[in-house]
Amino acid sequence: MKLLSSFKKELILASRGFYFYVELIFALVILAVLLFAIPQNFSGTSTEYLYFNLPQEGKEIFKNIILEDDLDTKSEMVEIKAGGKTFNAELIVTDESEIYIVNSEEAVRMLAETHRNIGAVLELDDNNQLHYKYYLQGYESTRLKNLISILFNESTDVLKERIENQDVRPLSTGYEPLNDRENTIPPLVAFSGSLMGMFIMASYIFLDKKEGVIKAYAVTASSVWQYLMSKIFVVLLTSVVSGIIITMPVMGFSINYGLLLLLLLTTGFFASSLGLLIASFYNDLVKAFGVIYLILILMMVPSIAYFIPGWDPVWIKIIPSYPMLQGFKEIILPNGDIAYPLIASAGFLTAGIVLFAITNIRFKKTLSV
Amino acid sequence: MIKVEGLYYSYSNDDNFAVKDVSFEVAEGEIFGFLGPSGAGKSTTQGILTGLLQLQKGNASVAGYDIKNISRKMFNKIGMSFEQSNVYSKMTAKENLSFYSKLFDVETRDPIELINLVGLGGKENIKTGEFSKGMKHRLTFARSMINNPSMWFLDEPTTGLDPAIAADIKDIIKEHNNKGVTVFLTTHNMFIADELCDRVAFIVDGVIKLIDSPKILKLQYGKKLVEVEYVQDGNVKKETFSTIMQKDKDLLNQIIADKEILTMHTKEATLEEIFIKVTGRGLV
Repeated sequence: MKLLSSFKKELILASRGFYFYVELIFALVILAVLLFAIPQNFSGTSTEYLYFNLPQEGKEIFKNIILEDDLDTKSEMVEIKAGGKTFNAELIVTDESEIYIVNSEEAVRMLAETHRNIGAVLELDDNNQLHYKYYLQGYESTRLKNLISILFNESTDVLKERIENQDVRPLSTGYEPLNDRENTIPPLVAFSGSLMGMFIMASYIFLDKKEGVIKAYAVTASSVWQYLMSKIFVVLLTSVVSGIIITMPVMGFSINYGLLLLLLLTTGFFASSLGLLIASFYNDLVKAFGVIYLILILMMVPSIAYFIPGWDPVWIKIIPSYPMLQGFKEIILPNGDIAYPLIASAGFLTAGIVLFAITNIRFKKTLSV
Repeated sequence: MIKVEGLYYSYSNDDNFAVKDVSFEVAEGEIFGFLGPSGAGKSTTQGILTGLLQLQKGNASVAGYDIKNISRKMFNKIGMSFEQSNVYSKMTAKENLSFYSKLFDVETRDPIELINLVGLGGKENIKTGEFSKGMKHRLTFARSMINNPSMWFLDEPTTGLDPAIAADIKDIIKEHNNKGVTVFLTTHNMFIADELCDRVAFIVDGVIKLIDSPKILKLQYGKKLVEVEYVQDGNVKKETFSTIMQKDKDLLNQIIADKEILTMHTKEATLEEIFIKVTGRGLV
C-alpha cells in the first residue's frame, strides 16, 4: 500500500516534470528517424565515371557490354555538373552502380574530384593494347586497390572460373539476417529505453535532494527502499513505453513481446539502480555529470562492436550494454536464440538487486540533518 | 519518552565530535527545549533521535524504541517538523499531506483540517512551488502532525514566520502538549523556549552545559530587585528596590499605596542572559 502510494506520487511528479516527457519525445524522434530516415537496406550502389578514349567501334563494344546489365537495357542522355562546368553524359544504371559515360578525360577527372567517386579512362597504348587509368579518392580500401591491380594481370575468365569452383559451405543454416532498419533497433532500445533510465533516475533523485523530501520520507513509517523502488517503477514504465514506441511500428507483431518486456524491465531495473547508486554519492546533477557521462561513454563502446562484427574483443563482453544489445537483437531476429535474452535478463535482475541493496544501505547511511 | 546516555557523534568518523557525552531524559507530556547557537549540536542530536543520523556511540531510546535498531513502527508515534521546509513543490498542499498520510500504519488526520489549522485554508489546491517560504514552513509543520504523534520533534518551528503566525504556531504546540504530546523543541530563540518549555538544555560545542526549568533558572540567576516608575508632584520618578531588604519592601508598599504607578518590573534575568552567563557564548 505504501509502495503503491509512493508510486502514484512519483507518477504525479513525473507527469508534472520535464524528464518524463524527454524520454518519450526522444523515443518518438528515434521512431521518426527509423521510419523516414533509415532505409530498410542501405544502398550499395556506386557511381562511376567512364571515358572510352577509343575508336568509335571500341566505344560501342564496351558500352554494349555494360548496357547488358542496365535495368532496362537503355542508356539515358543526361547533363552533369562539376567545377562550374556542365558535361554531357550517357547514364547506364545497373543493380550495383550508376555509370556515367562522358566525352573527355577532363570530365572524368573533374567529376571524380567534385563528386568524390571513382573515375576511369580506357585507351589504347602505343602497342594498341588496352590501357586503364583510374581516378581514385585515396581512401579506398587496400583490398579494392589490390583487386584493381590484379584484375588486369589475370584473365577475367580465370578469375571467374576460380570463384565458381570455390566450395562454399554454410556452417549455420536457418539464419535470416535483419534488414538495416531492424538492425538499428537494438542499440536504440538499449540506449533510449534502458540506459537513459540511469540518467533520468539520477535526475529524479537530485530533484528530491534539492527539495529535501528524502528526509521527510525517512521519518515516516515507510522504508527508504519503498521510496527508491517507487522511483524505479516510474523509470521502468517510461523505459517500457519508449522501447515499445521504437520497436512495435517497425517490427509489428513478428517478435516475442513478452521476452522484449522482460529484457526491458530487467535492463531498466539494472540501469536505474546504477543511477540510484551514482546519485547516492553526489548532491546535485552537475557534480555527478562527469561520472554519468563516463559510464554512458563506456556503455556506448559495445555498439561499435555491434555495427562492426569483425571487432568483438573479449573484454567488451563484460560491459553491461553488450549483453543488452545482443539480447535485444536475439529478440528481434526471426530465428533468434531465446535462451540469450532469458540468461541476460536473469543476469541484469541479479546485478540490479545487488546494486539496489547497496544503494538502499547508502541512502540510509548518507541521510543528513 | 526520550532517554539519552553518553551520546557521541562525529561527521568525520574521528575524534572531532559534533556532540560529546550528551545525556538527558524527557518525560512524557513534557516540552523539552534544546537550546544553543548554530552548530552547537542541536540538529545532530535531533537527527540521531529521529534516525536521520546513525547512532555511533552511546544509548538512546525514543517512545520506547531503541535507536540502535530503529523499527519503522517508531515513526508511527513520532512527528518531525524540519527547520528547512521540505515539501514536493510540484504537488499541491493537499496532495503533499495526502501522500504522507498514507505512509503511516496508524489513523491519520484530515489534510484539509491541518491545512486550515496552520492558516493555509483556501490554499490547499495550490502547488507548493508557488508558496512563500513561510507558507512552506507552515505546511512542513502541519505535515508533522499528520500521524497524531505522541512524540513531536520541532526544529525551529517559528523561524521565518511573522509574529502573528508564530503566535498561532505556539498556541498549536501548547494545545497539543495539553493533550499529552511530548515535545522536543530545538531552537536558538530563547523567547519561544521561555514561553513554551517545561525544561531547557543549553548545548554549546556539542556539550550540554545545563538542564533545568526556565523558571528556576531565572530565579537562580536573576537579581532580586523591582524597578518602579511613578508620578510624584507632577514629575516621573524611577527607583529600584530590593525585594529582600525590609526597608525597601516598606518603601515600595508605601509608593504603591500613595503614588500613581506607571511601570513596575522585576529585574529577573532573561533566558538569553542566563545562557550567556552559563556558557560564555551568545546565541548567534
